[in-house]
Amino acid sequence: MADLGVVPPIDEMVDGRGGVRAHWRQLLGIMGGMGEGALANRAKRLDRAFEDEGIAGVLPGAKRDAAWRCDPLPMLLPAAEFAALEAGIVQRARLLEAVLADLYGPQDLLSEGLVPPELVFANPGFLRACRSKGAAPVQPLLHLYAVDLVRGPDGYWRVLADRTSAPAGAGMARENRRLLGRVMPEAFRGAQVRSMRPFFDLWQDALQRLAPPEVGDPAVALLTRGTQAPRWFEDMMLSRELSCALVECGDLTVRGGVLYLKTLQGLQRVDVLLSRVDGARLDPLEMSGSATSGVPGLLDAARNGAVRILNAPGAALAEAPALAAFLPALARRLLGEPLALPSVETLWLGTEGAAARIAREDGWLLRRATDGSMPAAAHADATARDAAATPAAFVAARVPPASLVPCVMEGGLEPRPLVLRMFAIFDGSDWRVMPGGLARIGESGPLGGALPPQGLSKDVWVIADEGGDIIGPAPAHLPPLPIRRMHGALPSRVADNLFWLGRYTERLERAARLVRATQTRISRGVVLPREAAEVAALARCLAHAGFTGADEVAGSAAAQGLPSVIALALREDGAVMHLADRIAALTAMVRDRLTADMYATFTLTLRAARAEMQAAGDNLEAISRAMIAVLRFATAVAGVAAESMVRGGAWLFLDLGRRVERAQAIASEVGFALDGPPSRIEGGLRLMLELCDSVITYRSRYLTVLQPAPALDLVLADGSNPRALAFQLEAISRSLSEVATAEDGALPDEAASLLADAEAMVAELVEASDQAIAAAGLPPRLEAMANRIAALSDAVTRRYFALLPAAQTLGLEGAQPALRGAA
Amino acid sequence: MIYRLRHVTTYAYAHSVDLAAHLLLLTPRALPYQNVVRSTLAVTPTPSHVTEAADHFGNAATRIFIDVPHERFEVIAEALVEVRFPDPPSAALTPTWEDVVATAQRSEAAEFTFPSHLAPIVPAATGYAAASFPAGRPVLVGLLELMGRIRRDFTYKPGVTGNHTQVVEVLRDRRGVCQDFAHVMLAGLRGLGLPARYVSGYVRTRPQPGQVARRGADQSHAWVEAWMGEGFGWVGLDPTNDIVTRDEHVVLAWGRDFIDVSPLSGVILGGGDHRLRVGVDLEEAEASASA
Repeated sequence: MADLGVVPPIDEMVDGRGGVRAHWRQLLGIMGGMGEGALANRAKRLDRAFEDEGIAGVLPGAKRDAAWRCDPLPMLLPAAEFAALEAGIVQRARLLEAVLADLYGPQDLLSEGLVPPELVFANPGFLRACRSKGAAPVQPLLHLYAVDLVRGPDGYWRVLADRTSAPAGAGMARENRRLLGRVMPEAFRGAQVRSMRPFFDLWQDALQRLAPPEVGDPAVALLTRGTQAPRWFEDMMLSRELSCALVECGDLTVRGGVLYLKTLQGLQRVDVLLSRVDGARLDPLEMSGSATSGVPGLLDAARNGAVRILNAPGAALAEAPALAAFLPALARRLLGEPLALPSVETLWLGTEGAAARIAREDGWLLRRATDGSMPAAAHADATARDAAATPAAFVAARVPPASLVPCVMEGGLEPRPLVLRMFAIFDGSDWRVMPGGLARIGESGPLGGALPPQGLSKDVWVIADEGGDIIGPAPAHLPPLPIRRMHGALPSRVADNLFWLGRYTERLERAARLVRATQTRISRGVVLPREAAEVAALARCLAHAGFTGADEVAGSAAAQGLPSVIALALREDGAVMHLADRIAALTAMVRDRLTADMYATFTLTLRAARAEMQAAGDNLEAISRAMIAVLRFATAVAGVAAESMVRGGAWLFLDLGRRVERAQAIASEVGFALDGPPSRIEGGLRLMLELCDSVITYRSRYLTVLQPAPALDLVLADGSNPRALAFQLEAISRSLSEVATAEDGALPDEAASLLADAEAMVAELVEASDQAIAAAGLPPRLEAMANRIAALSDAVTRRYFALLPAAQTLGLEGAQPALRGAA
Repeated sequence: MIYRLRHVTTYAYAHSVDLAAHLLLLTPRALPYQNVVRSTLAVTPTPSHVTEAADHFGNAATRIFIDVPHERFEVIAEALVEVRFPDPPSAALTPTWEDVVATAQRSEAAEFTFPSHLAPIVPAATGYAAASFPAGRPVLVGLLELMGRIRRDFTYKPGVTGNHTQVVEVLRDRRGVCQDFAHVMLAGLRGLGLPARYVSGYVRTRPQPGQVARRGADQSHAWVEAWMGEGFGWVGLDPTNDIVTRDEHVVLAWGRDFIDVSPLSGVILGGGDHRLRVGVDLEEAEASASA
């Protein structure tokens, strides 16, 4: 036993005599037919596909997030082998459920000595708030279970780690399969690969079944840790796959013992919460911690059966590696069966003689007793010292050398060690195992426990027997859904993000138009006298748009000064680049409201624009090209939004943001353009038409004669011109009427009043004896209008995005002795 | 002894609180030697939702939720409680402390041998307690001596420590209040492997004739219960007053340390700054009240 480490690992594909194992032959045949370099090419395409989907997190502006990659060669499991694993996984899941039900209930296992008290009472995963003495816990505690398996040289699979808290990877497995199917469709031909789709259908059905009994049409939500959390993409994927709302703690509130989602239409009940949040962070009322995380009263609602949290908070207790040492006895005691799928050999060092034994023998790996992560080899010495001091806090495991599986590497196929993560869900009566999984590829050393933020994975194929069991799912018996044409549950937080995505996108577009208008006037290095006033107005517009230094450039120096002002704004810390970054961040946050195509359109065009801006430096021509790329991005967003988004809450707030921003910009910029002596009004009108992209329209209506009233009518009062102020105000008024309830008619009324003002301005101009003088008098009124639009935007934010007052805790804080309730 | 208990907690907020959730451990625990004749909680404003459930330790926990905006929050806990804890066993006849340590892990007291946030196992506390437990000493002899030492070595001084003061600080400065002394004693005992738990409750407000006034009266009080081995059970030890609990204390709840049994905690939305007032009365009830 002591030299277990030198036994060579087995190879999944090749048997000991150099032959290819039977279940791999078909796949290898197909691969062989694909030709030289084909696999490496597919690997690249797979990487690209992950990037485009946003899985790899390469958003423009965002730092290149750590990402998971998928190897084009799948890991294969023959049907019989899967069946054996399936049985073992189901038994283990049942066992862990029984262990949890006891430890969160009567705790007989402690009094019988089958589980040492250290593994419960000294385990941070044991949440006392989830146990009520004398009461049985609400079952099931486990709904989703994952297990990390390793196959040793003897050919047997053994469990490296149990994942019971909020196991990650099921969504990744699904995504691997989907993208592999797209990039390597021929590999699936001929191979009887069991589909994963039925598993997700059953899962969706199971969530409905697990709702509290009295609920008729249960609402399911997936609780994510948020867009900044490492598993955000998977959470989003999973919420789509399972057709449930994607929510954060801040979106939820408990009222009257019931859990609700805060939406634009008010509170909507949530019956089942698939939680991806650590149980200890779910409820600040019950668990000391920050008041800003979690939902006060959530555990109370769950305890009373008003909402079902899956997995139950506290389920992390069953992840303790030390439990592995006791599972065989627990299986006999709780199930009356021997443990079918054993763990890697494990010793809890709190057991008498265990420490002495591992000191005597080689090949033991030390892990923390209650923490599922695997220790890094580099820390082995420190770990050994800690274990000597507090043996009960450690376990020793003998991890066999993991089996090898071929992976596509730089130099061709190379064997790499494999850890297989498999998943099972409980539907209220049965456990179902996903026919597939996530193969994790290691560089060296064992993997197990929490998924790191990056790594190499493989799709896992369960090869069905000939004519085997490719059976569709049992149809879920759901009542027919009532037809809904409403906005559904749009959380206020999401509406807020969409609103600002709309505003920033428009703001970026305005910046590009300003730069282009400026660039054409200064490109010759001198400013023509008749354009001097226009350049001065543009400088004010640029300053208003956040271009640092634009307001200090004046007169004839403009041609020399403005290029560097513009170049500065395009730099990494400049105003325009900053806008692009904000847009990228917001796009990521509303990712779950966009289809894959929309998301790809947004990010690819933004990425291209960003790259052009970075490359432009202070070359005016390159800057001009970059601005065209920016306009292309803005047009793509507008087009996709117009063509692909249902005219509901999400589109409405994206559009509202855009209209508000544009209305405000038109009012400001027209004001700057007209601000000058009446004799120079023509230049101002020309600039105004250009900034409002209305030159062609004007020409088609009035040919070349430029007069104030017709020009201002076109940019201020013409409701048919999508670049006119009136068009924006009408749209704002319409949108606000649509979301407003009876008591808040004030907002659409204000938009309508602004529209009336804009029309009045033009009407007065038509009547004026000297239009030029009247037009030159408009800037103060336009500035006032811009301010009113800004105030309207603030009012929308206050009304719909409900800035809640900060939460605080009472009674347990240390910093405020005045609050102490005890002597 | 029968006591009439009245514990009033009032929060006054600078701004309106829109939503509040509170966890109350203010109902005296029913015990073989503590008969809770009646117990009521009156909350202002009226909660929209109230639930009652035993916590992990078996304490009577009440959770209340308030949906109406309020600038003042008040809880009045009243109870009529009869207490008569039995006299402790003869100290010399209790098991040696090493025997208690050896059997603790397989006992109902196992949980209370492990460190907790405010009663951690730290060398300073373990070393302080060890002086009272030479080899082979009966456990209660050591416990009583340790309690007396804490009473003598530490200065009772309200206002210098807070809810999250760590025992190392208390051991260093040698001053604090009942909560700190209880934590010091717990940390020391757990460092030796002896099970001990934190008890929250009250001590009688006015002394019995011929007795000195107890420290920690007029407010929430805290002390320690230590386990003396199978067949001997728990003994209540009040290191602030150097007395074994018999009929001058009323038990509210127990846990690993203060955090588990804070009488009133909560999460509020809004409120800004706040002022807290706490008033406690534990008076002997008239003979008629016990009838």
